[in-house]
Amino acid sequence: MRDLTIFLYEWKHFFRNPFKILAVFLFIVAGVYGLNNGYSLYQNQTAEIEKIHEKIQTEKEQYQQQYAEGKLTDDSRPWIDMASPFWAIWYTPTYHIKTPSPAMVYSIGQAEQYGFYKRVTFMASPYDADMAEEIANPERLQTGTLDFAFVVLFLLPLLLLILLYNIKSAEAEQGFLPLIEVQTASKNSWLISRILFYFLLVTSVTIGLLIYGAMLTDVFKNASEAFGQILLYTLLYLAFWSLIFFFILKNGNSILGNTLQMVGVWLLLAFVIPAIVHQSISISKPANLMTEFIEVRDKQEELYANDSVFERKLIDLFPEITKTTAFNDETKFNSAMSNSAYALVNELNKEAIRPIEKESQDKNTLIEATYWFNPVTFFQNKFNSIAQTNYNDYQVYRDEIQALIDKRTGVLIEDIWADVKVDTERYKWYSESLSTAR
Amino acid sequence: MWKIIKNEWKYYGRTPWLLGISVGFVLVLFLSIWLGNFQTQKQTERYNTASNELRAQWESIDAMNPHNAAHYGTYVFKPANMLSSLDEGVNSITGNVLRLEGHVQNEIVHSEASQMQTISKFGKLKSSLLLQYIVPILLIFLAFSSISNEKRSGRLKLLILQGAKPISLIFAKTLSIWLYGVGLLVLTIMAYSLFHLNDLNVEVLGRTTLLLVSYSLYYFIITGLTVFFSARWENSTIALTSMLGIWIIWTIFLPNILMSSVEKWHDLPSRNEFKAAMQEDRSKGLDGHNPSDERAKELEEKVLVEYGVDSLSQLPINFDGLVMQEDEEYGNKVWDKHFGELRKVLASQKKSYQMGGLFDPFISLQNASMGFAGNDNLHHQEFLVQVENYRRVFIKMLNDKHAYGGSETGDWGWEADNEFFKSVPDFEYKPTALASVFPHYITDVLLLVGWSILVLSLIVFGAKKMQVL
Repeated sequence: MRDLTIFLYEWKHFFRNPFKILAVFLFIVAGVYGLNNGYSLYQNQTAEIEKIHEKIQTEKEQYQQQYAEGKLTDDSRPWIDMASPFWAIWYTPTYHIKTPSPAMVYSIGQAEQYGFYKRVTFMASPYDADMAEEIANPERLQTGTLDFAFVVLFLLPLLLLILLYNIKSAEAEQGFLPLIEVQTASKNSWLISRILFYFLLVTSVTIGLLIYGAMLTDVFKNASEAFGQILLYTLLYLAFWSLIFFFILKNGNSILGNTLQMVGVWLLLAFVIPAIVHQSISISKPANLMTEFIEVRDKQEELYANDSVFERKLIDLFPEITKTTAFNDETKFNSAMSNSAYALVNELNKEAIRPIEKESQDKNTLIEATYWFNPVTFFQNKFNSIAQTNYNDYQVYRDEIQALIDKRTGVLIEDIWADVKVDTERYKWYSESLSTAR
Repeated sequence: MWKIIKNEWKYYGRTPWLLGISVGFVLVLFLSIWLGNFQTQKQTERYNTASNELRAQWESIDAMNPHNAAHYGTYVFKPANMLSSLDEGVNSITGNVLRLEGHVQNEIVHSEASQMQTISKFGKLKSSLLLQYIVPILLIFLAFSSISNEKRSGRLKLLILQGAKPISLIFAKTLSIWLYGVGLLVLTIMAYSLFHLNDLNVEVLGRTTLLLVSYSLYYFIITGLTVFFSARWENSTIALTSMLGIWIIWTIFLPNILMSSVEKWHDLPSRNEFKAAMQEDRSKGLDGHNPSDERAKELEEKVLVEYGVDSLSQLPINFDGLVMQEDEEYGNKVWDKHFGELRKVLASQKKSYQMGGLFDPFISLQNASMGFAGNDNLHHQEFLVQVENYRRVFIKMLNDKHAYGGSETGDWGWEADNEFFKSVPDFEYKPTALASVFPHYITDVLLLVGWSILVLSLIVFGAKKMQVL
């Protein structure tokens, strides 16, 4: 029997089976729903970012107006002097935003576990409370949002299972198998052709869904590479499950036995193995309670309590200040020194963050080491990565925030000690330059 | 009927694949309890170390201005719940660290999930994962051919001729498979109890009993429905595929879709909106650092009259402390309003989601399981309320010390001694009593009972319609 004939018979078989048609229909519904969930989050984040941009713009304009009018202090708070670099930078509204990738439509990933905008100040740190996720129902976060990645990772193998479960075993149970062996050159190629039919059917459905998703957020225009990668990994995942099911079908001759094995493998790979890995990692590395980060508060107190240590640390960090005017001017020295405190606190924060991030990185290394026997987690994190909703993408975002804080404190120290008088031009420069880490 | 059940169990005992699966499954169940218990222990160790460290830091404050101490603040860590080893609920998603300080009610941060890449979409290897997802599949595989096989082999006719009633037969088949599921449940609870012999009390027993009842009802629904399909259809494959389809829809599909939908029906504000609204309300009140605004003026006049003096400098107390406490109390009203609204929205979401149990008993089971294990959002919110109440006492003690401790108005350099800081009580978490939250889960239990009655009716209906000859 030629492949085309097998394909045609399989097509007829598929169309005469309402259960299989319903399964494909439900898969499409779930896919469309999942893509719309991704799109909805993308839209919400984009709208929120738009509001933040407007807010920054209004604030900037208000302060620029103050500079233009020469209103550099506040009557109720006379200690504020916006001509000084300290207060000028204090009042330079800077946000760092993680712009969602259009590919988020495919995988929401960990996007709901982290904040995506952060006001950068002298005292800021990438682990501040405002870096927490958007307000959401924890039970919903626990259940997880049904996104496209979920549909592919968990429902696609089930769809394949429903489409394939009785292939060959039904014929075996009805006693047709010897007849088929006579009619086909090889039993295996007959089985492969039938599986291939469903592989192609599911591939077409998946490509259709991917294109629908791409149209929602303009993926082709803004993230065409991501589309190609998602397609590639989806096909690899589909091929992976098709191969597993092929071996089960090849070696089994009963519908019940095959279904049991297929469901068993699915439960093992989608539930049991990831759950065991998750549990083991939680035992070997329990949730970090951020005590190192909390300790910064005491280290800060110690720093403030000893002027000479404070001065030495500041000079170690910024040796160039010793050559500045303020350093050699007794009237300016003390104020410059106290206004430099945030730069040292920033260093303390960075020191505290290092072991915390190392622990997280160690956990990730452990997770990645399990990929060879934990393929669902591998594909899950791959999808998240392509959609830029993976832990590592948020780590990059946190690093960018840290770079902005470093730049802010760097400019602060430079201008305080150089005794810069801030005017409209300098303020504009702050507004533009402090928004980018470069 | 009992004879049929006994025969069925004899058959299970003689089926090697079932025995193999059962032994393997029981081992994995025990492993999950042991691992869950071990994880809770490790987490508790970390919690105790961190809490003790924080308390020691607080008690080691030699001398500090009370208001500076309010800014220095303290931290509360979320303790692990004893029943977490059965069902962890929302614990890995919610934060673990909460900063307590003056002027602001912070949110809990640094969740376990945010500290690494995604691993398991369905959580860790807890008993709940096996009992909610895997056991029902096992029951489906045991039940799908229970009647259809009897029909196909002709044994059904024989049994009926021997005097067995179809209803008794279906019921006996259902019960024998259901008892297998209940047996696994009982083993789980027993193993859990063995690990916690010293901690068993009425509260834990009450919660585990309710867990047992909820899961038993769900297993009855799954088993009964599968046996009904088996009796209804000639072909056992249709019974199997139909039940697998229902399992997918109930377990994977609907909970996700419904949970996402309820968040759209009952909108939560964005963090930005939430903060801006609180800031707006807060700005109408006192500024803790600025005693010159209107409210401070009113308070000033009131205090001056009360003490019969003309100016703040004549007061025998530190007026700044009063201003800060007044500001704190105004702030508390603002937090209560906004966080209260947030909790209301979350409660509405929960109620809507619970009603999803009308279409999907798995939703009721999941709610009941998390709730009775004390790890759902309701218990999490209770924890947050306890922490906030503590914060209020904590800050009031500091403000009162600032006001009445012996300093004068404007004296920000005055410092309270170490004895005072030691006297500030530590946060003590009182686990939420089951009795106080049980009404929230009545809907879930009633829906499971309702589903069981429906399935029972289907069995009766199935028995009447079953074609024997």
